[in-house]
Amino acid sequence: MKALRTLTAVLALGLCFVSAAFAAPKAITVASDATWPPMEFVDANKKIVGFDIDFMTAVAKEAGLQVTFKNTAWDGIFAGVEAGQYDAIISSVTITPERQAKYDFTTPYVQIGQILVVPKAEKGTKIADLKGKKVGAQIGTTGAMEVKKVAGVELKTYDEVGLAFEDMAAGRIAGVVCDEPTAITYALQKKEYSSKFKIVGKSFTKEAYGIVVKKGNKELVAQLNKGIAAVQKKKIDAQLKKKWQLK
Amino acid sequence: MSTEAKKQIIDVGDGAAIPRKSDRGLFTAWRIAFFGAIGTIAYLVWSRPDPYLNIIKFVPDGIAVTFQVTLGAILLAIVIGLITGLGRISKNRFFNGVASLYVEVIRGIPLLVQIFYIYYALGTIVKVPAILSAIIAMAVCYGAYMGEVVRAGIESIAKGQREAALSLGMNGRQTMIHVILPQAVKVILPPVGNEFIALLKDSSLVSIIAVADLLRRGREYASESFTYFETYTVIALIYLIITLFFSKIIGVMEERVSVNK
Repeated sequence: MKALRTLTAVLALGLCFVSAAFAAPKAITVASDATWPPMEFVDANKKIVGFDIDFMTAVAKEAGLQVTFKNTAWDGIFAGVEAGQYDAIISSVTITPERQAKYDFTTPYVQIGQILVVPKAEKGTKIADLKGKKVGAQIGTTGAMEVKKVAGVELKTYDEVGLAFEDMAAGRIAGVVCDEPTAITYALQKKEYSSKFKIVGKSFTKEAYGIVVKKGNKELVAQLNKGIAAVQKKKIDAQLKKKWQLK
Repeated sequence: MSTEAKKQIIDVGDGAAIPRKSDRGLFTAWRIAFFGAIGTIAYLVWSRPDPYLNIIKFVPDGIAVTFQVTLGAILLAIVIGLITGLGRISKNRFFNGVASLYVEVIRGIPLLVQIFYIYYALGTIVKVPAILSAIIAMAVCYGAYMGEVVRAGIESIAKGQREAALSLGMNGRQTMIHVILPQAVKVILPPVGNEFIALLKDSSLVSIIAVADLLRRGREYASESFTYFETYTVIALIYLIITLFFSKIIGVMEERVSVNK
């Protein structure tokens, strides 16, 4: 009886593998730090939503992939893809030479820039005007790196960009630097903040987001690139930009 | 209990074991751990200066902040603990009730939540610098535990001591200050040492409110250089060295106090 059960189990398992290899689309897990509205955030129904999520879903559909999202803290999100805890990251990741040296990126899919948000009373219009003051950014983001470049300004890093805005609302820091779409969401669209903050100047960097995969996973990069090309050709990304009010 | 038997009691606390007198000899656990950790860091820096030396150069101000938070919090926590402990044994119903409520409430809320609460919730009313609110949060939390330690220490002193002091004509206050507390300190010191080491490690939680302590400096380095494994190895070793260093100091202090036991 026991032998029979084992045999059935082995057969079932084998069948699973065979069917997975031939029929079902390849399943991948994609990590996202869902604290970055409107690109990726958790909505009232505890679901991860946002431009990146819709975009990734569309890309996966075009590329014949089945995608599951995993909400992951930004701090260590790269270490996770390296350790193989998930296959890719879509989380407003700017393509930088330093990151490219360590991870593989797909083709860029959105162009954005860093921008400064300050309290309404502040007169300065760029980071250098805030000399001697504290400026916040999310840890490990390109925004944090931009602040660090400016001498005389103290960088404060937060686990989530929302905490930096909260600290600015409490009057502890004089500015926050982050990606433009996120800055717009926090400074202009959030009721509690729109009366307190303003965006100054224009975005002062030229950056592009890419999907991150583990170094050497050429197969997945090719597949995702195919999906991105298809999405862009069908103008799905333009529709999504409109939906999430990106420029 | 004989003196020998008392020495065998070892506190099982949330930290490195505090070295005892009996831990004599060249290869004590403490020495192996302490010099092993220092040796490991030295070897790593020597063999691969690229990530390791840079990490070591990046974190010193973080170590200073960790020290500040820990020492500030422990001093404040001892004061709060003493008041709370006296409150818990007080016959004054109001004082006793307030102290008991404080202990029950604080012990039931995770430290991380308290740190968040004191920083962000109270921050909307009074603007307190991050490092100060970190110290307050840690002290409020550990003050509750310390209060229980003080209470247990005082209650461990035999009733006869108090009765004898009272019959000599001392009042309640004098009895407490000159007879009970000096004896209780000996009992209290080892668990306070444990609390101190636990607090030192828990101070890493304050990095959540953007205090640039040892852990946050490490995370900042790792997130820019993508050397997560290397950075956290160094951070762990530094915490270990600091913890062992303090456990040694506490061990020495205990020996001093217990000389005439």
